[in-house]
Amino acid sequence: MGTKGGRRRLGARAAVVVAVLALLATACGGDDGVDVNSVEESDASSSASGSESGSASGSEADAAAEDDTATDEEGDVEEESGSASGISEEEVAQTTENPLIQDAVDGYRVYVQEQISDMQAETKVFADAVRDGDIEATKAAYPVSRRPWERIEPIAGLIEDIDGAVDAREDDFDGPEDPNFTGWHKIEWYTWDQGDLTEAGPFADQLEADLQTLADTAETLDLAPGVLTVGAQELIEEVAAPDGKLSGEEDRYSGTDLYDFKANVEGSEALVDLLAPVLEEADPELLTAVESSFDELNGQLEVFGSFEAGYVHYDEVTEDQRGELAATLGGLAESLSLLNGALGLE
Amino acid sequence: MISESRRRFMKSAGALVAGGAVVGCTADSGSEAIPDPESDVVAGSGPPNFPFRGNHQAGVTAPAASSGLVAGLDVRAASSEELADVLGTLGQSIEQLVSGEPYEDRDGGFPPLDTGILGTPPVGTGTSVVVGYGASLFDDRFGLAGQKPAELLEMPKFANDFLVQPERSHGDLSITISSDSGEATVHAFRQIMRETRGALVPRWMKEGFNQLVPEQTHGRAPARNLLGFKDGTSNLDTDDDETMAASVWVGPDDDQSQWTTGGTYQAVRVIRMMVEFWDRTRLNEQEGLIGRHRASGAPLGLDDETDEPVFEDLESHIARANPRSSGSEKNLILRRGFNYASGFDANDQLDQGLIFVSYQRSLEDGFIAVQRRLDGEALEEYVRPLGGGFFFVPPPPADGAALGEPLFS
Repeated sequence: MGTKGGRRRLGARAAVVVAVLALLATACGGDDGVDVNSVEESDASSSASGSESGSASGSEADAAAEDDTATDEEGDVEEESGSASGISEEEVAQTTENPLIQDAVDGYRVYVQEQISDMQAETKVFADAVRDGDIEATKAAYPVSRRPWERIEPIAGLIEDIDGAVDAREDDFDGPEDPNFTGWHKIEWYTWDQGDLTEAGPFADQLEADLQTLADTAETLDLAPGVLTVGAQELIEEVAAPDGKLSGEEDRYSGTDLYDFKANVEGSEALVDLLAPVLEEADPELLTAVESSFDELNGQLEVFGSFEAGYVHYDEVTEDQRGELAATLGGLAESLSLLNGALGLE
Repeated sequence: MISESRRRFMKSAGALVAGGAVVGCTADSGSEAIPDPESDVVAGSGPPNFPFRGNHQAGVTAPAASSGLVAGLDVRAASSEELADVLGTLGQSIEQLVSGEPYEDRDGGFPPLDTGILGTPPVGTGTSVVVGYGASLFDDRFGLAGQKPAELLEMPKFANDFLVQPERSHGDLSITISSDSGEATVHAFRQIMRETRGALVPRWMKEGFNQLVPEQTHGRAPARNLLGFKDGTSNLDTDDDETMAASVWVGPDDDQSQWTTGGTYQAVRVIRMMVEFWDRTRLNEQEGLIGRHRASGAPLGLDDETDEPVFEDLESHIARANPRSSGSEKNLILRRGFNYASGFDANDQLDQGLIFVSYQRSLEDGFIAVQRRLDGEALEEYVRPLGGGFFFVPPPPADGAALGEPLFS
């Protein structure tokens, strides 16, 4: 992974180290002088841990997801898509008496609505290009249309079947030609791999219809506080997973993974921003550590482009650079995994 | 909760220092009404862990263990201050781990601090952790060039090293874990990695094992290597302080960097063995290449493993490694290796071999001198080094000090 070049770093990470120290201090009373009172307070203020702990464990969440997975006639288990978000509503903290957390939940509801609105508008541009058979316009619109989806992916797990319908990959089916393979990546395959959109129109129609279902269902969603804390972490886990953005598995035909990557990061950052007022009170060091890691990560991503200027093909991200990104993501994920407990959520 | 954990931690840490060798001090300490601090060192049953603090890093001289792991890691830090923090965190992580103390039981809204692999509370697992500094730690990033141990260098290429690749070699740090089970080794590494995540990045790692003989006695090999031969027969006696001082520990006059006193140089070599080829080789040829009888471990022509070999020529592996000639005693090294088996390669050949680990007072007189004698040996046909590195194992932090502190003073 790290070579000499790989050791170079791009942002300040002192705060991350402080967070690690704080974690250790909590763990073992390390002699580092870090004030751990805030952590202690948050421990004290949290209610007794019930059986429904807010575990962010992917395996637990996945197992739960599998339990209520509907198997279709062909036996395809659609929700096992590699890109599925691991959150399930029952698994996360349900309630909070902290008004600041409630404010964040309310704020997130607005954010989700905004993103869904953008998603529908940008996907219409994409779908129109597909229906017109305009390959270049389709290529331009594809990564753009996916950004809002990637920002709010934590809520995908809360809406039945949606992830498998719009964001599954060919691995979940009998190859890319399987008619049950639908959504963005199906059209991505037609566009980049086949270079032919003749048969893609119905899939564009279907994508729009599925996103309308998402929009309709999202309005009725009862967002639990734990969706925010676990969601912020899951978005980063999603990037770092072996079948996530870091490996280049997600957008394998187009190489546009960095758009998804950045959107996942933005979605996580949006959640942290919403939780910042309450985290500022509960554990300011953790907030500093998280924000510092985001700064570092965004600095690393800037090297590869921007939404405005476009991102490089993911093949151009070297192994060393992926290692650097992985290291920052790892530190960030460790910090984000403390959000839920730090805010006293179960 | 925290203050209690902190108090207990510091108490046990103090006990580790005061107790020196904690190994074996647990059996009779359970009967007291007020717990003896030393009994806190090892929670549950099982062999005690090796303390991190003391005169030397205890893992260097810990007996051969049945499970192990060696990793080279790179540090991500922007300044010497950040490096100091990272090393301090690493030291605390190791200290908590080998203390055997349960990790703090946090509220269920947090992920647990202990991965739980060893159960809660954890059992003693004979775990030791050795930290080494690579030459690259002393490059221009942290302003530590002046503190570099006199003999530390990036591992050069030796005669048979054409498969050695940078990506599976070197590193700013090495971490070497030994324990009595694969789970304990994995547990130790996972705890350390999670607590330093983002700051320490694994560059390469290799897990290994040893099938130990029931009773380890000096002069007999604790295990066989994957060539089927006893390995470690004439290893140094770690209970002999004079031998250790002569061959393993850096002395006060060895280096102008005084912080190195009590440390040791570590050489790691991941050496693949061409086991298919070896298994097709006549026994006489095998024994001639090694210089010992396979079954007994005795030097060729002799009866017992402990017999002193008499060399007619310096062709066999053991003759080249240690010719027992006048002056060659200064080339003695302490070996602490593990066997490894990592599946198979692209040509369907088994990837198996030895994680060679040696400790020596001088790299030049120790590993390098031995390796220069081995360069060109007939056994090379059957082995291919793949990676590894040279590191300096510092003395443990003094009581109340953090790992790495002397580097920054």
